[in-house]
Amino acid sequence: MSVDIRPTLSALLRNRTGAVLVATQVAIALAVLVNAAYIIVQRIERIHRPTGIDEQNILVIESSGFTNRFHQTAAVEEDLAYLRGVSGVIAATASNSVPLSNGGDNETLVTRPDQPRLGYINMLEVDEQGLDTLGVKLVAGRNFRHEEVQPPRTKNNIQSFVPAVIVSRALGEHLFPQQNPLGKQVWDAFKHAATIVGVVDPVMGTFPGSEHPDRVFFVPRLPDEFIVCRYWVRTRPGQLDTVTRLVESHLAKSNPDRVINYVRPLTYFKNLSYLADSSMEIFLLTVTALVIAVTSLGVFALATFNVSTRTKQIGTRRAVGARRGDIVRYFLIENGLITSAGVLTGCALALAAGYWLSVQYALPRLDLYYLVGGVLVLWGIGQLAAWQPARRAAAVPPSVATRTV
Amino acid sequence: MFGYNLRLALKSFGRNPGITALMVLAIALGIAVCVMTLTVYHAMSGNPIWWKNDRLYAVTMDNWDPDHPLMPNTDLPPHEMTYKDTQFLFASNIPLRRVVMYSTLGVIGDVGAEPPVQIETRVTTADFFAMFEVPFLYGDGWSESADKPPQPVIVLSRAENDKLFGGANSVGRMLHWNDHEFRVIGVLNDWFPRPRFYDLNGGSFQVPDAAYIPYGWGSELELLNQAENDCWKPEKLDNYRDYEASDCVWQQMWVELPDAASRERFQSFMDSYWAEQRKEGRFPRPKNNRLTDVAQWLRDNQVVENDNRVLVGLAFAFLSLCLINTVGLLLAKFLNGAAVTGIRRALGASRRQIFAQLLIEVGVVSVLGALLGLALATLGLIGVHHVYAAAHLGHRGGYTELTHFDVVGVVWAVILAVAATLAAGFYPAWRIGRLSPAVYLKSQ
Repeated sequence: MSVDIRPTLSALLRNRTGAVLVATQVAIALAVLVNAAYIIVQRIERIHRPTGIDEQNILVIESSGFTNRFHQTAAVEEDLAYLRGVSGVIAATASNSVPLSNGGDNETLVTRPDQPRLGYINMLEVDEQGLDTLGVKLVAGRNFRHEEVQPPRTKNNIQSFVPAVIVSRALGEHLFPQQNPLGKQVWDAFKHAATIVGVVDPVMGTFPGSEHPDRVFFVPRLPDEFIVCRYWVRTRPGQLDTVTRLVESHLAKSNPDRVINYVRPLTYFKNLSYLADSSMEIFLLTVTALVIAVTSLGVFALATFNVSTRTKQIGTRRAVGARRGDIVRYFLIENGLITSAGVLTGCALALAAGYWLSVQYALPRLDLYYLVGGVLVLWGIGQLAAWQPARRAAAVPPSVATRTV
Repeated sequence: MFGYNLRLALKSFGRNPGITALMVLAIALGIAVCVMTLTVYHAMSGNPIWWKNDRLYAVTMDNWDPDHPLMPNTDLPPHEMTYKDTQFLFASNIPLRRVVMYSTLGVIGDVGAEPPVQIETRVTTADFFAMFEVPFLYGDGWSESADKPPQPVIVLSRAENDKLFGGANSVGRMLHWNDHEFRVIGVLNDWFPRPRFYDLNGGSFQVPDAAYIPYGWGSELELLNQAENDCWKPEKLDNYRDYEASDCVWQQMWVELPDAASRERFQSFMDSYWAEQRKEGRFPRPKNNRLTDVAQWLRDNQVVENDNRVLVGLAFAFLSLCLINTVGLLLAKFLNGAAVTGIRRALGASRRQIFAQLLIEVGVVSVLGALLGLALATLGLIGVHHVYAAAHLGHRGGYTELTHFDVVGVVWAVILAVAATLAAGFYPAWRIGRLSPAVYLKSQ
């Protein structure tokens, strides 16, 4: 092999333009491929983080009371009694917010009454069926009891708190590093204390877009009287549509002092929360595929062109004893040299692009495994694209050498 | 001459239809990807009220927790204000116009046989419509005297009026808003600022509110901001009056200051208010009283998403790849035809004529590529629009608003395509034009 490189190189250097163009394409392709792949993998991982929630079988209902006659506690009790009685429903609860929707409440939760705020923590109001409705698993402690569920906060009673809370394992570790959070006391912004009675894992709260979407606490309380009320309803597999139709028509008429704003599957909210990620993923995949296609085309075109302009030289080589394999090897080595030059430049370009992305857009720094993978992929593509023209070159008969001039 | 060159170009395409098609396709793909990402970027980065950029200012003050900023990793104050601060600043007559507002939810009912429906409603002072140049279809907004004590008047968006009154002139009609009787005094014409700069809560491309009521109704009916309320201080919050007196932020304030002098006066008015309040123990953080123009406001709130910038960069990398590819293909094609070029040169064509002929050939390729690229981009954007619309269940607002082609965008795309491809074709045409004809007349 090594014997062949020198003449190949010298031939290349004599006719540089095409080679430089292809090497540049390979370099750009590598930079795009590596960084795009890195971003795509991150997005896929992000979208598929465990939520602990039975996402496919939950529907969400939003109800707004709007008259003076409307009474939140009575309405919630009536609605939940109805919902739990619908056939196909496993569990139902009332809440302040919608899981995975990127909306909701963050509230202060600290480990000493005199402690400054540790930042907001995602708070979800539920009753004793809340955990079952989501399908999240208790890993320690117990569920809320019916008698623990507090009445709604009202405009004249904004500060009420609860005796017990259930935390996600991630929040437990955050609040009490290296300790068992079960049984510990926590305080709200108004210095009211509550006891941690349960730990759930895994679970994702209402803010998939936040830095720590798994830091969540549940409180046993009906949703505030002055906000809209959301019901979560978990159905048996396959019954979501049937239950949706049924409850939609019933709830629309059951209470004239409120309106039902929507009855939607939970997946709607999740999809919307990840819309930017999923469309980025699709776009990057498409462009990456196009980049590879166009680059292969470039390699193929150059090899074909080289073969066609060198027909006579190939014939001459064949006439003086070169075998078909030698011709094929010549073109593959030539392609290899060009690709290598491109890949080398491309590595620098990819790292520069990766650095730029990490600085400008706070994306994590490029993982070097991706670079190695990208180099191998482009090398392989280069050889594949040059294969067919090289075979055609090998088919040139030695007699061509004698035909003209 | 042009016609002759054009005929030559078409003949030459006929000789290598495959390679010509590949060139057109490569250019088209590069252009299509660029046009798509630029369209979305253009929609995201727009300033829908640019002509008032030197007059409109968002008012913000940092009243937050001394130990923790509300917006970590920035030096920005909270993007909303407390009720009491807006009340004090609103009383100033330095600004030409001033608005305090927030978005709340209300249920509209008792209009014909329509079932009641909850709509986003803006609780705002009277200047909103004039300040943001909101167009009216019927009627008008209210005067400042209707704000406090509040008059039972309501302005509807055009879409809401279409829904409730079938698009008829509903001025003077009565309806129920949260079980209180209101009289319609105005209906807006189509109005959809993208992004919704005056209130970016809940996404930058939300549909404007469906209805507008005078600001005084907030206190009267104890209305809350439906999108964002933030509190930090452990203080008494036993009722709505406590909330109004608290350090919770939930009010949005904008002022119109027609010149630098009034801007400075209002800034020093804010600063002296801040200093006074600080003496009484408020505003524990460093002074950060801001008047932010719309363009800066959109930057501060990061309306253009990082993803989108990355995609524009990626699209241009791809376009450059496609163009380099095209340069290679053009070179190969021209060299293939060098014998013919050689004969033409030998028969007396000048270098300049050869160059012109080849450039016209390139021009035809670039125009075809640009047209195909625009067609592909249109298809792509329609596809993306459908994906977004499906995710939004067909409702307006959100990403669905980012896929609109506008005339400016199309013109730019065509210029981009033709300029880029001509630039790509310049070098091959020049190189072939320089070849000495003799070499190509000799062999093969």
